[in-house]
Parts: sequence; structure tokens; C-alpha cells
Amino acid sequence: MDCIRKKVKEEVERGRTGSDHGCPYHPSHFIGQDCTFCFCPFYPCEDARFGKFIESRRGRDVWDCSDCLFIHRSEVAGFVLDEIRRTGFEECGDERMDEIFSDAKEKFWRRGRALMVLGATSDAGKSVTVAALCRVLHRRGFVTAPFKSQNMSLNSKVTRTGSEIAMIQALQAQAAGLKNTDYHMNPILMKPKGDMVSQVVVEGKPFADYDVSSYYSEFVPGPGREAVKRNIDFLLDRYDVVVMEGAGSPAEINIYDSDIANMQAAVIADAYCLLVVNAEWGGSFAYALGTVELIPENDRKRIKGIIINNVRGDTGKMRSGADELERMLGIPVIGIVPHADVKLPSEDSESFRNSRTVGTGSMRIAVVKFPRISNFTDLDPLFLEDTAVVFADRPEEFDGADAIVLPGTKNTISDLEWMKENGIAAKILSMKGKVPIIGLCGGYQMMGSLLSDPKGIEDGRPSETQGLGFFDNVTSWERYEKCVRQERGKIIATGGEVTGYEIHMGGTEVRERPLFSIEGFSGNADEGSVREDEMLFGTYLHGVFDTQDFRRYFLSFVKGGHNAPESVDYNEYVDWNLDKLADVFEEALDMDKVMEIIGAVR
Amino acid sequence: MRVLFLGTSSGAGKTTVSAMYCRYLARKGVRVAPFKASNLSLNSYATSDGGEIGIGQAFQAMASGAVPATDMNPILLKPSGNGRIQVVLNGMPYADITDDTPLDIGIATAEACKAYDRLRERFDAVVCEGSGSPAEINLRGRDIANVGMMRERNIPSVLVGDIERGGVFAALYGTWKLIPEGQRGLLKGFIINRFRGDPTMLGSGIASIEEITGMKCLGILPYADLRFPEEDSLSNSGGRMSGKDASSAYLENLDSLIAEAERCGFDFEALKRIAEG
Ligand code: SF4
Repeated sequence: MDCIRKKVKEEVERGRTGSDHGCPYHPSHFIGQDCTFCFCPFYPCEDARFGKFIESRRGRDVWDCSDCLFIHRSEVAGFVLDEIRRTGFEECGDERMDEIFSDAKEKFWRRGRALMVLGATSDAGKSVTVAALCRVLHRRGFVTAPFKSQNMSLNSKVTRTGSEIAMIQALQAQAAGLKNTDYHMNPILMKPKGDMVSQVVVEGKPFADYDVSSYYSEFVPGPGREAVKRNIDFLLDRYDVVVMEGAGSPAEINIYDSDIANMQAAVIADAYCLLVVNAEWGGSFAYALGTVELIPENDRKRIKGIIINNVRGDTGKMRSGADELERMLGIPVIGIVPHADVKLPSEDSESFRNSRTVGTGSMRIAVVKFPRISNFTDLDPLFLEDTAVVFADRPEEFDGADAIVLPGTKNTISDLEWMKENGIAAKILSMKGKVPIIGLCGGYQMMGSLLSDPKGIEDGRPSETQGLGFFDNVTSWERYEKCVRQERGKIIATGGEVTGYEIHMGGTEVRERPLFSIEGFSGNADEGSVREDEMLFGTYLHGVFDTQDFRRYFLSFVKGGHNAPESVDYNEYVDWNLDKLADVFEEALDMDKVMEIIGAVR
Repeated sequence: MRVLFLGTSSGAGKTTVSAMYCRYLARKGVRVAPFKASNLSLNSYATSDGGEIGIGQAFQAMASGAVPATDMNPILLKPSGNGRIQVVLNGMPYADITDDTPLDIGIATAEACKAYDRLRERFDAVVCEGSGSPAEINLRGRDIANVGMMRERNIPSVLVGDIERGGVFAALYGTWKLIPEGQRGLLKGFIINRFRGDPTMLGSGIASIEEITGMKCLGILPYADLRFPEEDSLSNSGGRMSGKDASSAYLENLDSLIAEAERCGFDFEALKRIAEG
């Protein structure tokens, strides 16, 4: 405690620092945060709206401030600094500090407001709308967080606390300028395992497996609802605005009462809602009208605006229909948004399913399109390079490929069998040594010599499967245990940087030269496998292509070499696209109306 | 017999459902023809008398065991870039239209009706397909293939909704509600297309839609991973039918779709009553 007091004294003497970009940890919470008090004068405040007790490594309770944004708001930091200076730091005993704390809370703390974005269909454009609103609000100075109760997702990311959340919420958090993304923003994640069974991840940790009916009858009314409430409360205590995303359509009247992802979440958060419809397939007015009118009246009142999204060509041609819709429903159409030509990682299954080839570059990268493919957004950064990425599910589609990627899968063993049966495995084996081949996560496991699942953990039935034999590695599933980790390290061959995260079941006994050296608490650890002379690469790291260093390293093995275009940092590229997206929405939406609906006029 | 299949959106599956019903009737010995008043498509088919129709109707004619004829698609709209659209009327190039010089809806509707009447005379059954969604209230008054034909020829109609994207109940109800009152009564039934999972889960939703709208649910079609040639520029499934000649593979696909539909209890009898009504 004395140590903290000393630090605070230094901070008070130093005065306002604003947002300290010189600090190696900056920004630890959100872009634009105030760093005057890195050490908080109120520590430990024991206010559950800001922090919580956790068990320290030595087993003692310590007060954890890692999710507190309060003292990092500039108006709070300014007020607190002034008050302490007015009193004189030495005179600020605990009591005076307590007074300042309650004054600051009274003046500046209030529960945030929630706005929910509903979609008339899946792929209506809910997630991009949330991302766009997060960025617009962030740019306007609101501390904003995204939220989605439940997500059925094949693309997940690992947060700084080692929790797993949907990729799309992580992207929305990036849009909001947040650096402290965590499971609160997506407390329930469903990962389809096949056969209508999903693994349900709650607050970042695997909870249990459910089929559709047990999910609705057992999980939803109990632990599901609780998790939604707990995490909405958490966010509303800390953020100015929480932009919530619905799931699917809110008007599935057959399951209305057990749907915690839409109107029930809106009720829990006391959120007003915007309804988004996608104009691309036509029928958007019918979808909008039907969705609103099928929602029971009490909940219907929460819908305060309609957005017609993804209009190609002249948006004006929708106006007469929009006016009529307004008259019929008594709800304003607050925006007719043109198709936004932005490149963002997409959860949009439709676009993925339809686009077999992405890009028109000179290097043809063939990605095995496993039936249970997962984390396919891992490949997105490759689109930045001079590539054409083909998602291939027939052997002949690998002809002429300059490189091959075996991506992640929800079921390594079944997808390996699938690939052997349809001839893709043989095809890839025949290309060994001719083009670079990389396996990611599940694909990496397949590249080994043996996959052993004696207890049927991966595939539901015990099995022992021959791998592709590119590596001598043996992967085994011994326990129902999942590895979730965020990592940073170096490519051993070049010293270049690599980042990523691991999410997988099953462990691999590596009998190859390692690909990476990963920084850890207790020294560095090896990761992945490589045989450069045979152009074989394998790693558990998702997001491995995010750093340019690794993309370049891998693509340098492509025949004819790789002539590097301008260097692009993937994160900056995504940010640039988020800004572009926000511009499109800000222009098309009646933002005054949106602010009025949020009620967030500060 | 005549019936009009309308989709709650493009790509809802009305082309395939129409083709399936053509095939179903043809197998029963009914002389059947497909019809789509107007079609926006880049892919056309040359009829034996040198006319041009949308590829979708050519395939549906194949399903009907009928010779593709220009009456089956009297108006074909072919985008030619830069906002220009070439109008093919009764198989022959007719005019280029733009936003400023639109199609004369009166003339087009009259021609469509004449073609439809000719088919009605030559065939026992005409299976009509709508175009896009019939509920585009911003285009009211410009619609020929959906509300236009309903109004001009009182064709009993069936809505096809795609459940894969979700929101199918909203789509069915909303589309029904946005059909002008004068024609709404012609909507007799609906079909839920591309369903995966346990159909009993949908029971309560279907019952409410039947109750609110008076439309009868004819069936739930399962998600069929069949590849059909699609004229719709939106669905680029490619129409891949490996190895076989296109027509026999196409008919085989339709036969297995009919078998699937029957297995799932699709009510062909009720559909027949609608078409005869
Ligand atoms: S939770 Fe926030 S206000 Fe409380 S002691 Fe920690 S940083 Fe200060």
C-alpha cells in the first residue's frame, strides 16, 4: 500500500498526462484513455461496479482493477487530480480520499445505455452495423462496448485473459477502440461439433455440450439467462454505451420464449432496438414488416428504428417503400445504407459459401475446404498479398496451386477421413516438395504420422488414424481438455515476428524441428514443425498470417519467389476498413435520431 | 389448372419448386407448361423457333416434358451494363430501357397475359413463377410477374420462404400483408424451403402463420444439397452436375427432390386443389 501511495504522490506532482503514448503498455484499456493515474488513488476501492477480488498466486485475495475504466476517463482523472491538489496530497487521508471518490462517482458515474441491433435474418448485416456504430460512437468520444449474448461461430479469438470469444465481437471491440476485449462481450459461444451437437462456451470456458432441444430446455432458462444478465450488467456499469447484437431473427415465433439472444436480452438490458434488413435478396420491406409485427406488442415497443442495409445502386429508389413502411409501422426508417465495399473478416457464411476464389493475385493458394472447417478468417490476411485464395473441395482444384493450406477444423479425424476418401489427401501428397504446404491447428495435426483418440474425445468413437505423414508427429486426445492461449514469438529461421493464439483439443508430441520460439513467463518454448527443404510447415497458432513477417516467410517458398508489394500491417488495414465502414453508416444514418434513441446525449 | 409460386426473396427456391411441380404433374400424365411473365436474367436459351427465353423456363420446360417456347417467358430483361436493359418481348429484341425510359408496363402486361392465355389453351396446367419478391412496395405498379399476373388473371398463389437465413415466419407474414388487399385472398398456401433439423420444432410457428393469414402450409422441404442450374444472378451455385448430360441429371435431381418431399409429407393433394380452385 505504501508503494502505491508513493506512486500516486508522484502522479499528483506530475499532473495531467492525457493519453500517455510513451508507455509500453499503452493503451491498456481503450484508445484515448487518460493515463494521469496509472496507479489509482482509491485503491482498493472495493466497489464491485469497477473491480473485483481475485485470488493472487500466493492464495490471498487481491483487488483487481484490470476492467476498471473509471479513473481512465479524462473528466474523472481531471476532477480527482484537482481535488487532491486542492486538499494537498499529504492531507488526503483515507477519509478525504473516500469523499473525493464518492463525489467523483456522483458527478461522473452513471449506468451506461444499451442499444440493440436486431436483424430480420442471419446475414442481415447486424454485425457490421454494430461494428460501424461502435466506431462512430468511439470517434464521438463515447466509451463503447459491443455485446452479443450468444454466438454460433466457427471463428473464435482468444482474449488477454485466455478466454475464447467470437471473432466478430473481437472485431467490433477493435472498432470501439477497446484494448481490454474479454468474454463479457460474448458470454455464450456455441461451437457446432456436428450431429446437431454444439459445445457451449460460457464466459470464455467450455461449459458443456448440448443438442438443440436440451440447449433450449436446460441451458437457456438457467445458466444461459444468468450469464447474459451478469455480463450485460458488467458492461453497463463500465461503459457509456453497449451496442448489442441480436442473433438470427428475433421473430422466430416457434422459439420466442426461449430466445435469449434477442428481445429477452433487450429487456434485460432495457435496450431500445434497431432492426436491420438486407436489401440484397429482395423482400426487405416484407421482412421488416413481418419481423416487427410478429414480435409481441410489449417487446415491439422497443424497436425504435429500421435500417435498410446493403442497397446496391441508387438508395433513393427505396425511399417510397421506406415511407410507406414507416406509415404502416409507426417506426422511422433511420437509414438506407448503400452496399459498403469494405474488406473485413467475415462471419458471413453465405458469402463464404458462394465465393470459391477470393482475390485475383498471381499466387494461387489452395485452401482445403473441410466440411467442418473452422477459423477460416485465419486466411484473411493472405488476401493482402498478391494472391488468389481458392477454397477447394475437389482434388482437381489443387492443380496449379502455388501453395496449399490445411486450415483448422472442428473435427480433425472426420475431416481427415473425408479428405482421404475424396482423393484430396492423395493429391496433396503428390504435391509434397513441389509447393509449400502449411497446416494450421487441425490441419497441422493431420500432417503428422498418427492421430490417436483412444477415448473418442475428438470423434465420439475411439480411433487410431494414419496422418498424412508429412511430419513424424503423433497427436493424441487423452483427456477432455482444451488449450487456449495467446502467444507472441519469433520465426526461428528468420527471427521475424509472429503472433497468434492456440485453441485446440488434443496434444501433439513433436518429433520435428520447431517453427517458432514462443516467449513465455519461464523462458522460451518451441512451437510448430518445419521441414524447409520439403517446404512443409505446421503450427497450432491461429492468426499466424497476421504478421507480415510470417506471411512473407511462407510465401517466399512459392516458386518464382515472392516480390513483395508495399508492406501492410493487417491490424492497420482492418482499422482503415472499419473507418471506411463507419463513414458509410454515419453518412447514411440519421445519427441525431440514433443518439436520441440511445439517450446518450452527454 | 394453374398456380403461381412466389418467393419471399430472390433465391427463396421458387424456380426449383416450380420445376419440381412441373415434373410432378408431367409424371402423372398432365400436359403442363411453365410460365414466368418477366424474367431478369443474363442467361437465355434459344427456342427452336429462334426466340429467346430465360434459361430457368427452358429447364422447367424440360421438367414438364414440353418444348421450350417463347410464351413460357414472354418478357426477358437482359442487363447490358451502364444501367441499360435490353427487353426481349415474345422472344425477340424489343427495346432498350433505362431508368429514364422505362418499360411501358401496360403493353408488357398485356403481352404477358396473351402469352399466358395461349399456354392455358394449349396445356392442362400452367405452373407460373413469380419474380423476386412480390412485396417490393417501392416498385408497386411496376410489377408484372407477381401481383400483376394475380390481378390480371386471378391465379391462385403459393409463397415459398427460405428458412436457411432465418426469419421465415416474418417473411411469410410480411409478404402476405404487403400484397394489395384485392389480391391477398389469392394467397392460398406457403412452403418452407431449405430446412435442416427436426421439423416438429416449427409446429407452433406454422400454426400461428396459418391462423393469422389463412394460408395453408403445404410442407417443409428439407435442405437438399442438389445443384440446379439457376438463372438467378444471385445464386452462383454454378449448376454443377458432374459427368452426366445436363438434362438427365436435372430430371434425376427433380425426382429425388419429389421423393424427399413426399417422404417429408409434402401435401401435393392440397396443392392440386389450390391449382384447380
Ligand atoms: S477498481 Fe477502479 S476506482 Fe477502484 S481502485 Fe481500482 S482503478 Fe481505482
